[in-house]
Formats: sequence, C-alpha cells, structure tokens
Amino acid sequence: METMIQAFVFPGLVYVLLWTVLLFWFFRKFMAPLHKRVGPHFNGPAGSYQTLFDLSKLLTKESITPDGVNPYLFSMMPILAVIIAMLPAAFVPWSDGFVVVNTEYGLLAMIVLIGIEPFVLFLTGFGSNNKYSFLGGVRVITQSISMETSFFMAALSPALLFGTLNMTTIVESSSWLSFIILFPGFVLYFIALLGLLEQPPFNIPDAEQEIVYGLYTEYSGTNYFMLKLAEFAEFMAVFAGAAALFLGAYKGIGFDSYFWFFMKMLAIAIMMMTLRAATPRITLKQMLHFSWHYMVPISLVNVAWIMLAKALFFTGA
Amino acid sequence: MQKIKDILTNFETEYVEDYKKVWIKTKLTKSSDLLGVAEALKAEGLRSLSTVSPTDFIDDGVMEMNYFFEDLISKRNLWLKCDIPRETELCKIDSLTPLFPSANWHERESFSMFGVVFENHPDLRPIIVSEDFIGKAPFRKDFDWLKHEEDSLKNMQLIVDAFKEEQATNEINLDPDSSETVLNWGPTHPASGPIRLKVHCDGEEVISVDPDIGYVWRALEHLVTQKDFVGAIVAVERLCFMDNINSMTGYCMAVEEIADVEITEFAKWMRVLLGEVARVSSHFMGLGGFFNNMGLHTLGMWNMDTREFFLDFLESYSGARIATAAIEPGGVRYGLDMTMLDELQKAIEKFDGNIGEVEAIFVKNPTMKLRAKNVGIITADEVLEFGLSGIVARGSGVKTDIRIDEPYAAYEQIDMEYITRDAGASQDRFVMLFEDLKQSVKIIKQAKKHIEDEVASGAFNPTKDHMVKMPKKLPKGEAISRVEWARGEVLMHLVTEEKAKSPYRLKMRAPSFNHTMMLDYLLKGKTLSDIPLIFGSLYICQGDLDR
Repeated sequence: METMIQAFVFPGLVYVLLWTVLLFWFFRKFMAPLHKRVGPHFNGPAGSYQTLFDLSKLLTKESITPDGVNPYLFSMMPILAVIIAMLPAAFVPWSDGFVVVNTEYGLLAMIVLIGIEPFVLFLTGFGSNNKYSFLGGVRVITQSISMETSFFMAALSPALLFGTLNMTTIVESSSWLSFIILFPGFVLYFIALLGLLEQPPFNIPDAEQEIVYGLYTEYSGTNYFMLKLAEFAEFMAVFAGAAALFLGAYKGIGFDSYFWFFMKMLAIAIMMMTLRAATPRITLKQMLHFSWHYMVPISLVNVAWIMLAKALFFTGA
Repeated sequence: MQKIKDILTNFETEYVEDYKKVWIKTKLTKSSDLLGVAEALKAEGLRSLSTVSPTDFIDDGVMEMNYFFEDLISKRNLWLKCDIPRETELCKIDSLTPLFPSANWHERESFSMFGVVFENHPDLRPIIVSEDFIGKAPFRKDFDWLKHEEDSLKNMQLIVDAFKEEQATNEINLDPDSSETVLNWGPTHPASGPIRLKVHCDGEEVISVDPDIGYVWRALEHLVTQKDFVGAIVAVERLCFMDNINSMTGYCMAVEEIADVEITEFAKWMRVLLGEVARVSSHFMGLGGFFNNMGLHTLGMWNMDTREFFLDFLESYSGARIATAAIEPGGVRYGLDMTMLDELQKAIEKFDGNIGEVEAIFVKNPTMKLRAKNVGIITADEVLEFGLSGIVARGSGVKTDIRIDEPYAAYEQIDMEYITRDAGASQDRFVMLFEDLKQSVKIIKQAKKHIEDEVASGAFNPTKDHMVKMPKKLPKGEAISRVEWARGEVLMHLVTEEKAKSPYRLKMRAPSFNHTMMLDYLLKGKTLSDIPLIFGSLYICQGDLDR
C-alpha cells in the first residue's frame, strides 16, 4: 500500500502532475510582467485554471501519427520519457526521514536517470521521420554530451566532499560551511542545468525559429502532453537535485520541512525564468565551444578545490 | 551630370533632358545600344540598377523598357528608356545582369509578368507567379484575367501537382554519396513568413539557398489600373502594412506631378508627421523581429507596448490603426483636429520613457553581439553592386537616404542627417534600425512643433488646408517618385493615358526584392542557426517582396 501511494501520489504521478500544472502556470504568470503582459487572466484566481484546461485539452485531443513513421517508436518514446523523468524523484530526500529508496547509490542512480533522458528525446526526433525533428534530435544528443560532462562533475562535488553517494547522508551532513565550499559547484551545476533542460541561452534543440521546435514538430495531442509532462518532471528532478545536493534540501531557518525544499526549487525556477526573459539563444557551435573550453576545465578545477577544501576543513570528520 | 550627358552623346538618342534635380531622362533609339550604354554608365559610377520596368503600349505595338540607374554615392541618376517590339517572339533585349547583379530578379520579374526575354541572363526562371501563370505574361494589357479565373480549380491543381513533383524529385537529383538534404524553410515556418527558402544543407551547414517567393502575390501593380486615382491608394498602401503611409506618399507625389498640382505646405508637413509615425511603427516590429529570431520575445513585447500609443494617434487621425488610407492625391485625406496631437504627445512621452531601458538591455546585449557581430557582413561595395537601400545600405556605411538625397514633402526643412554604421554585419543593421527609430521620433517632434506653431500663428488652417482640388481626369504623362520607406527606397513609376481616370501602369520598386536576392550570397557556408538571424536583419517584408 505504501509503495502504491509513493508511486501514484507522492512523489509519484499526482505530485508530478500537480507540479507540472502549477509550475507551468507560474512560468506564464512570472514571464508576463517581464514581457509587459498580463498572462493567463480569466479562468480561476489569477488565471490559475488556464494550465489545467490547456493540459486537459491536450489530453483529449487526437494524437496524430504521421504517415511513414515507425508508430511504435513514435508513440512509445513519450511514455518512456515520462517514466524515466519521474524516477529520480524516488531517490530525493523530500523531508526529514522521507525518501522512497534509501540507498548508498542514490546520487549515482539519479544522475544516470537524468542522463538517459536526452537519449530518449533523441529517439523521438529520430522516429518522427521529419528533417527538422531529426536535426532537433541530433542537437539534443550533441548538447547533452557536452553539457552532461560538467553537470556530472558538478553534481559529484558534494559526494566527494562528504565521501558518500547516499543522498540522505549528504543532506544530513550539509551545513553553512559546506554550502560556501560547494558554491562554485552550484554555479556550475546551474549553468549545466540550463544546457541539459534546453533553456535559454541553450534552447538550441527546440529552437522554433531555426528547426521548428525540433523534436516536438510532429507531436500533437496526448503524445505532446506526455513530452511536456516529461519536460516538467525533468525540471523537477534537476531542481530537486540542486536543492538536495547544494542547498541543504528541507533544512531551513527555524524549522525543517518540505516547505523549504519547495521554496528552494522555486528559487532556481525563478532564476531560470529571468534568464529566459533576457538572453537570446546562442548557436550550436558557440555552445560546444563554451562547454569544452570553459565548463569542463572549470569543473575539473572545482573538483580539485573540493578535494583541497576537504583536506583543510573536513579532516577527521 | 554633364559626364553622363557626354556618354549619351556617343549613342543615338531621341532626347536627353534633365528631370527633377537629380535625374536625367533619355530614350535610346536602338535597343541594341543598351549594353554599350550600361557598360559606360557603370564605368562612370552609376553602379546600381534600381529596377527594370516594362510598359505595355498595346496600341503602338511596343514594349517600352524603363531602366533606372542610380549612383548612391554622388546622387546622379539616369532614367533610360528604349522600345522593343511587343510580339512574343521578338520581345527580346540584352540582359544587364552580368554587368549589374541587382538586375537579376528584376529582369526575371519582367520576364514572368510581361514575357520580355532577356538574352544572356544567367538564370531566367519565372519568379513570383504561380505555376498557372507561367508563360502567360499576366501584366500584358491583352491578358484576360476573367478567363484565367474561370479555371481556378484547374489552376490550383497545377500548383499542387508542380509542388508535389518538386518535393518528390528534389533530393533524388542530389549527389547520392553526400549527406546533402533540402529543407523547406517556409512558407509555414515560425520565423519565415510567407516565403519559402529552399535550403540545401549538409547537417547544420548551409550549402546554398534558393528563395521561392510569391506566396502573397496580389498583383497590386495590376490592381491599381482597375481603380481610379484615389481608389488606387488602398492597393498601394498594401505594399506592406507596417509602413503604409510612405508608400502612399510616393504614389500621390507621382500623381500630383502628372496633374501638375502643388499641395499645401500644411499637407506636406502632415505627410512628414504621419510618415514618420508609420516608420516608427514599422521599426518597432523590425527590432522585435530581430530578437524574436534569436528566441527572445521580450523586446518584441516591449515594443508592441510602445507601438500601440503611436497607432492610437493614427487611429484618432484616420479611424484605422494599420491600413489608414490617410494620404490621397492632393494632400492628406482628413483635416487635423489639434487635440489629436495630444495622443501623439502621449506616444512620444512613452517612447522617451522606455528607450533608455531598451538600449541598455537589448542594443548592448552581449549575447546578441556574440551572435550577430560576425555574420551577414555586407560591404559598401556590395551595397552598390546589389542596389541595396535603407538601413541595410546605411549599416554598411553608404550614405543614402532619399529624405536627404531627393527631399520630398517637407523634408527639406527638417533638421536631420545620415546615420551610418561601418561594419555592415547583422548587428550593425540592428543598431542602425534603433538609431533610425530615434531619429524618426526626433523628426516627429520637429514636425509636431512646426505644425503647432504655424497653426497658432494662423499660417496653417488645419481643417481646410489638408487638400487641394485635383482634376478628375489626368493628362497623358509619366512620372517617377522616390521615397525613403521604412525598409529602404521605394520607386514608383506611373504612366497615364490621355484623359485618364485610372493609372495605365504603375511600377513599384520595393527594397525587399533586392535584399532577398542577397540571401544565397550571405548564407553560403553559414549554419542553420544563422538563417533566421540574417533573414531578420535584412528587414524583409514579404508584402513588398511579392506585391
């Protein structure tokens, strides 16, 4: 019974759906004043039902499978994408003592699951039988290969500092001191996160003006809904990773609770959105250059810094 | 100017005369001299061919060819005419494309619309017209539009079949060992508008680009001949709805010249005022579009916000926000209620309040510079060669602006200057657009102040001075007029018959035509990411591309 609740309610399906609806609405409402617009307005308080209606509309619309595609590949990949994107939530310590799978390899499992996702997206593009989608798929894979290197190295820095891959232990050992030591790692993680989640300035794989939303081009109805759900579940996994690894997860001022965890995730979302409103897209070549010339070497330096800090401040611990 | 006349003495001409301040008008006796004259003119410095405009005189049995040569540097221009027979088999003339690359598409257009065959043209394919019009020369006076429309189902089938056949074969013809593919960038692409670029690419790299235009062809140049002189303005303003005022101004100037009517000083100032408001509204869209093409919609939204205030003024004046139909032969359509200028004052205040923010965040945006600094570079030489104009020409350091070169309306009394940038890259065209926008607002302020002062002193009567009486029928004649449109130079060539109630022929030379010609040249060897950026920076409007 407990497993069922965890799979379907928290941190499973219902939680992900709720998160998607609320975050989607929040993104739209937050972007609107930056654009000098109003955003969703008419349905519900401050237009909050709008996303619910949009998503339910997408769910009930016909899902068109174009001629000439492999229908199994085309329709299976969105479901697979959602499942894989939801799995990392099982390894995250959401509040004190609450983690679905408490394992010594929690961090490893999480980054591996985050790393599989782009490959699934590549296959959706590959299966669409459309030149723009294929180009989008190629861009996804190119970008993830170059961004994941620094993403993984940044994500591993707390593990190196505390000497464990267990997420619960990492959160329990975190302190103000470790936050300061891990701060460069957090910055690297955040930049790599933009690349991994295809957010500006790295929204190259779904550049609508260049390759017509890339891998999303042929998708409609339920399948499109699935891909969007996967995208937002992926947001959740990556934000939760950032909050747990660098910002002390549920630990907060005064009391420890899931509330603080949520606020931390929201803060990262706000940073991402603000960048989205102010930065144009860069090109694939510039992204590759940035990644391999700056991100990867700096990540290596960061690892060296973590080892040094560990020797200086955490000896005997 | 004397040197051009000297050149012309070497050839047989019917007449050589001065026309306006910066033009010489001449007619060659023999069309076979054309190539020789063109060569001499090019050596003299008239390096741009603005456009080629055939006029079909069906009663005389001749096709009169009009060539407009321009020298963007020293502002000397030549209007060259020559007659060729109008029978389909004999309707031939030497192509000027090998000498003047800017003639390329203009000659293709004449070929599609009038059936004029240009000998030695490197690429004489039909352009603009859809498959059902190919080989039929729709702009000839003996073309039966009604009969053509009767078979509209069959015509549509022709278009569909041709497209399907092209899609089925376009990649079969490519080298099977290469990974080259053909992408249809448009006409239903998020950033393209109604134009199709056939992009040959190898992965991300662009090999060549072949623009396919004509998706919004409305045959405006034919449409105006079906209307009277006043009714024609609604066709002329649809050149591009972003800046409709200035295209109407150009047309009205040509009509007034043939009718020999001088409009009032007040109407001239109103044309400046309205024209600059329209330019501002167009530039706002252009600036926003540039950033939209890089995936950032914030500037577009901000600009929309400010632009609404300028459209409010147009609405209070003419009743319409976009298609205003506010300029008419003989002046401007409506009198001015001075309270309307309060709307304009609001818009100017809004503009002044926002422009600093826009400059700090977007014009100096480091990521934009990273993207746009080194792509789409056009040198000053290429500007002359390809006959580019407007912000594209000025972004490459060529000092050309019709408002100063050949002042019309009240621009003579306006205090303005050439704004140029040197590097000619996409970024420079964007900054150029921004600077041009600021200058436009300055001109609006000047014009507004002048109108207010003159009305206060009693020199202008804003409710009565806006129109002078125009004759119902126009004499036989022809005229050209040039205006600095938001996107570049618009040249109108108007021909009328005796006792004319409607234009006999109107040629509209629109700047986007030349700018689109550059796409293949600019995009070769670049990546797919650069297509929307360069396309956006050329400030192309599909409306005036197809007409």
